[in-house]
Amino acid sequence: MLELKGVSKRFPGVQALDGVSLMFAPGEIHALVGENGAGKSTLIKIITGLLQPDRGEVHRDGRRLRFRSYRDSLAEGIDIVSQEIEVIPESTIAENIMLDKLITRGKTGIIDWPAVHRAARACLERVGLPLPTGTVIKRLSAAHKQLVQVAKALAADARVLLLDEPTSSLTEHEVATLFGILRDLRDKGVTIIFVSHKFEEVFALCDKVSVLRDGRLVGTKSLQDLTRKELVRMMIGRDIDRAHLGRLDAERGREMLRAERLVRKGKVENASFAVRAGEILGFYGLVGAGRTELARVLIGEDRLDAGTIYVRGEKARIRSVADSLERYGIGYVSENRKEEGLLLQSPVRTNITIAVWPRIAGRIVRAVSRTKETAIAYRMIDGLDIRTRGPEQKTEDLSGGNQQKVCLSKWLAADCDILIIDEPTVGVDVGAKDQIHRLIWDLAKTRGKAIILISSDMPEIVRIANRILVFRDRRIVGEIQGVDDPAKSYAELSAAIGMHLH
Amino acid sequence: MPTSATKRPGIGGRTLGLIISTTLLFAVLSLLSQSFLSSYTMFVISRQMAFYVLIALSQAFCLVVGQMSLAVGAIGSLTTIVLGLGLETWNLPAGAAVVLALGVGVLAGLLNGLLITRLKIDSFIVTLSMMFIYMGLRSGISGGSPYKVPESFRAVGQGSLLGIPYVFLLVAVLLGLVGFMFRSTVFGRRLLATGGNAAAARLSGIETGRMVVWAHVLSGAFAALAAVLWASKLGSAAPETGDDWLIVSFAVAIIGGTGLNGGVISGLGIFMGSAIFMLIKHGLVEVKANPYYANSFLGLLILLAIVIDRVRQIYSDKQKGT
Repeated sequence: MLELKGVSKRFPGVQALDGVSLMFAPGEIHALVGENGAGKSTLIKIITGLLQPDRGEVHRDGRRLRFRSYRDSLAEGIDIVSQEIEVIPESTIAENIMLDKLITRGKTGIIDWPAVHRAARACLERVGLPLPTGTVIKRLSAAHKQLVQVAKALAADARVLLLDEPTSSLTEHEVATLFGILRDLRDKGVTIIFVSHKFEEVFALCDKVSVLRDGRLVGTKSLQDLTRKELVRMMIGRDIDRAHLGRLDAERGREMLRAERLVRKGKVENASFAVRAGEILGFYGLVGAGRTELARVLIGEDRLDAGTIYVRGEKARIRSVADSLERYGIGYVSENRKEEGLLLQSPVRTNITIAVWPRIAGRIVRAVSRTKETAIAYRMIDGLDIRTRGPEQKTEDLSGGNQQKVCLSKWLAADCDILIIDEPTVGVDVGAKDQIHRLIWDLAKTRGKAIILISSDMPEIVRIANRILVFRDRRIVGEIQGVDDPAKSYAELSAAIGMHLH
Repeated sequence: MPTSATKRPGIGGRTLGLIISTTLLFAVLSLLSQSFLSSYTMFVISRQMAFYVLIALSQAFCLVVGQMSLAVGAIGSLTTIVLGLGLETWNLPAGAAVVLALGVGVLAGLLNGLLITRLKIDSFIVTLSMMFIYMGLRSGISGGSPYKVPESFRAVGQGSLLGIPYVFLLVAVLLGLVGFMFRSTVFGRRLLATGGNAAAARLSGIETGRMVVWAHVLSGAFAALAAVLWASKLGSAAPETGDDWLIVSFAVAIIGGTGLNGGVISGLGIFMGSAIFMLIKHGLVEVKANPYYANSFLGLLILLAIVIDRVRQIYSDKQKGT
């Protein structure tokens, strides 16, 4: 029995987990579901010792566990299969599976390779992967890497097995094999925690489901007496009833950006769409479906392999981000705020004005006017209600929501008319989320910006977009017009990405 | 003035620490030796400091964009040879020889920058290879013997104004310009942003590849300038010029608070760093330390500067409770 008691974890600017108590019993497959940012990954990291909770305890059969590292949790028989935890790419399958239990010849410390390979082969056979154990990991497909991780967990004789989106890169046949193995393990009394976006899988495989939302546990239910609709309601919660912010009257707006059959090899295939001034166009889909990849082509960060982009009716050749900013007025708010959006060590002022330095610099020496800079910073801080001690505060010290506003303000300061906003509320508190939604909506409504909103957060996109394109496997597979009835939109979106509700 | 994308103008705690250390060292040395405060010692020390500043800047331009250059000394060395060839072998006018030498430094930096950005090779490997290539060229061309320079060429390196070496005055002005560049100009800000977070800078419309090339060009130019002035000071173009610059460039830049991960530089810090470095070197002579151990002291000094910085960082992180 693995038990969490009142586990809380706070990151700067967001309460990732808030008093979560949960029980995982041996011999059950327990699904963990929730929207992006609901706290699933934080919970997994705490169970596997990668993070320590601020408050609360983790118990195993009545004993309190105190993990200081991932190793500690392995020693406790807890193992994880995840795409985030990399296998060692340069070594062989056998080495990866047997890494922490290499068989030696007596006490000499010399590895008995034939024995290692034999043991590894036995585990590989159990996951149905007919590959030589001497194959180097980096030559494997993502699916096979994942199966190697499962084999590794089998070799470790794990008593608690966590699987984080384990099927995202598997074929149907491989999924079936994996599910067979998992059921087998369950029958042997292993505790299995299964994190997934895919409802069919949850209903097909799992016994119980726990739903997280905004860091809190919504509830744990037996899957036998739960309908898909009820599960969606648990995930989305009160948001489902929260009204769309209002109709954006975009039909009369000027067409700002049009894409025709855009191709980026291996990333985006044949994407065509148009967005008008005053409109919020949603890009919905799961991570890797081609949304961000398309955005990177639009801003000139990645090369366009085929297709045509028109900006304000004219054919555009966007060769770099500088191009998209200076010549076409396109701004991109990255989904990775900290890695790609901000100079965290720099003052708020720097981050707000970074894209306009050339415009507020003197002509000969190119010295940036500090007065103008500070004025712009204050205008944005007031206009977007950025909570900061002032323009000189270090950006790192701001909360997630306020950092996101700084990212947005960069492009507003630069007068961009076309904004591509990628997952704007990941890692942001609920309250700040609402504020950011209203802010984005308002930019379209009152300032006539043409906005592309990339999001895998269903309530978010339904709430503020007035048209949604659905992405799956690098393609646009559907379009939802006029989002008026949230419940209907949820059903349509779920169906479009293959998460059937009915 | 700490010029960084990170701090507001004003003297930060780090720079203040440097000023205090410098003052203390200065006081100790004046007590230790009667000749320390003599105008001759001051002249020699301040001129030497100026060279350290130039060499450190050559490194700091690379550090600021998140890179490094192991070729700083080698570029200086190659430049010296070209200067010598120009002045002695080809009998060029001094001005032409200087321009030629500086041009070679700029080209060497440009080559480094282009190799790093166009072929996407790590700056460590590129500058390591180039270091050996330039050193080999230096030895091969010169055969190890120095070139003569005309008497008139020595004026800048050996002369002074009101007791202050020309070199020191020149470097003070340059350092001020560099500080202004990083604090206020679009170009300098963009260099800092590139080092602060290259991905964010690129997605903000800054052509970071171009910034990296510029950083190496500036690095080459400053190494070349240091070499030319050194030849002027020495009164000959000596092939061994630059042999000890690598360690000096890192030591002074790091003591002076230049961020090793990019995005942070302080003109005043580098000035203070070179003062501390100079005073410690001088102090070791005063206390008659065995010169054979000199390199160990330098290494220890760099390590100490990094450790102090790290401790400060850990301490401030703890204060924030993260």
